[in-house]
Amino acid sequence: METTAATSSLSLTAPPPDPGRARRRAGWLLLAVLTLAALVWSAIGTEVSFTSLYRAWPNMGEFLHRMWPPDLMWETTEARPFSPPLRLAAAAVAITLQISLLGTALGAAGALLLGLLAAENLTPDWVHHPLKVFLALVRSIPIILLALLFVAAIGLGPLPGVLAVAVHSLGMLGKLYAEEFETADPGVWEALGGTGANWLQKVRYALWPQAARQVFSHTLFRFEMNLRESAVLGLVGVAGLGLWIENYRRAFDYPSVATMVVVTMLLVLAVDQVVFHARRRLK
Amino acid sequence: MIQLEHIEVAYGRGRPVLAVESLRIAPGERVAIIGPSGAGKSTLLRCLKGFVQPRTGKVEVLGVNLACACQRARRAANQRVAIIYQQFRLVPRLSVLQNTLCGRLGHTHRWRSLLGWFSAEDLRTAWAAIVEVGLAEKVHQRADTLSGGEQQRVAVARAVAQEPELILADEPVSSLDPSWAADVLELLATVQSHHHATLVMTLHQPELARRFAGRVIGLRAGRVAWDGPAGDLSDDVLNTLYGNDRRDIVPFADSATA
Repeated sequence: METTAATSSLSLTAPPPDPGRARRRAGWLLLAVLTLAALVWSAIGTEVSFTSLYRAWPNMGEFLHRMWPPDLMWETTEARPFSPPLRLAAAAVAITLQISLLGTALGAAGALLLGLLAAENLTPDWVHHPLKVFLALVRSIPIILLALLFVAAIGLGPLPGVLAVAVHSLGMLGKLYAEEFETADPGVWEALGGTGANWLQKVRYALWPQAARQVFSHTLFRFEMNLRESAVLGLVGVAGLGLWIENYRRAFDYPSVATMVVVTMLLVLAVDQVVFHARRRLK
Repeated sequence: MIQLEHIEVAYGRGRPVLAVESLRIAPGERVAIIGPSGAGKSTLLRCLKGFVQPRTGKVEVLGVNLACACQRARRAANQRVAIIYQQFRLVPRLSVLQNTLCGRLGHTHRWRSLLGWFSAEDLRTAWAAIVEVGLAEKVHQRADTLSGGEQQRVAVARAVAQEPELILADEPVSSLDPSWAADVLELLATVQSHHHATLVMTLHQPELARRFAGRVIGLRAGRVAWDGPAGDLSDDVLNTLYGNDRRDIVPFADSATA
């Protein structure tokens, strides 16, 4: 009769108090205090203060002033007989695009294979566990570090960039693909097994139709990220836009730096838009 | 055709959920398995497909002992046993034709099928199956755009394309409207007699079992409590089968939400 007693004691005008409220509030408060403490700690460590920001302001202004206007000459002149930055930028755009296209494709191909084997619904524990760890290890190396290592190993040029992008994409996409395969409906997998289909046939007909769109969508997004990142890889000697930014900066040729920065931004914006629309159509 | 001897099925280390002393089903029979929820209906069916291995005893399907036969014999038997599910389990995004062709995966050339190439014979068989279930006009429509009844028809077509000797149907109409339910069961019966196959289905509604099966097996608490011609399935029998669990005998007309 406990339930009737409880029911009869209920108020008719207001809901009963929420017993978990105080605990949730304390939790939020603790989180807020911890976040604030972490921010203060970071501000002290980096010596960021309003005065330092204020003092840095004129320098920034002067730097921007030196970059203005960007060097947009297309023809060589007698005063500057070497190739103007805009021309170099056009070639660099092509190289940067090529690096990210090829790197993404190579990485995606490997990731497809490893992703299948790393999906816990497709392979036994002793296959997918070590593979997941391997993919996490690959992911844990920042792409710029990968590029640095490949440049040291095989020299300057576009190839180390392609390899760095490919390896990084392998780690990222392998995990995403595996997760995509894991969310596929297991009922369809069992049903196709019931028709006598083998493992590969089940992958092709039960899994792929369910996962394909997301796989393509992840790959496109990865391509976009790779393009942004491969522009930066020039800092460690990989061919492309970043390399020219670094070269001109070292030569104190700031108008040319500005040209390269603007071209990089335009390229990234354009690819961003193309990928955005392509992914929306995949939904 | 089907022979079960002293089987006991348990999940994990628990109490057996199914214990059958002896059960035989002859070729060409149309059997309905009924009983309250948790009586072991689905387990029995999954046992016949080899999805569930009994702890003890012998399961022989199409002359193959599922427990000890070598993998190749089991795979051959697997191919001749088609199964239809309550939730259809079609491949979403694939068309009616592609889903039906999935029934050919065990017959067709393995490597070529990965590229989506099916032989003329596969296409002929699949098309005949689609015509048989009455979906000729929707052959290229995506399966997940069809109604529930139509999706179950595609599942039947996929089973037919498999050219099975035994068709298992696990609650084939439990997620369908009553009008569709009778339709699909009628189709299953037609398909079965047309292809000289054996049909074993689990059903939630005894009335449907009476109407569409030749023989009814009643399970209660994992044991065969009744086994006889569908015509002999009296209300007394149902009372002993379902006991106080009257809520399981859903009147057929009200079962739309069951």
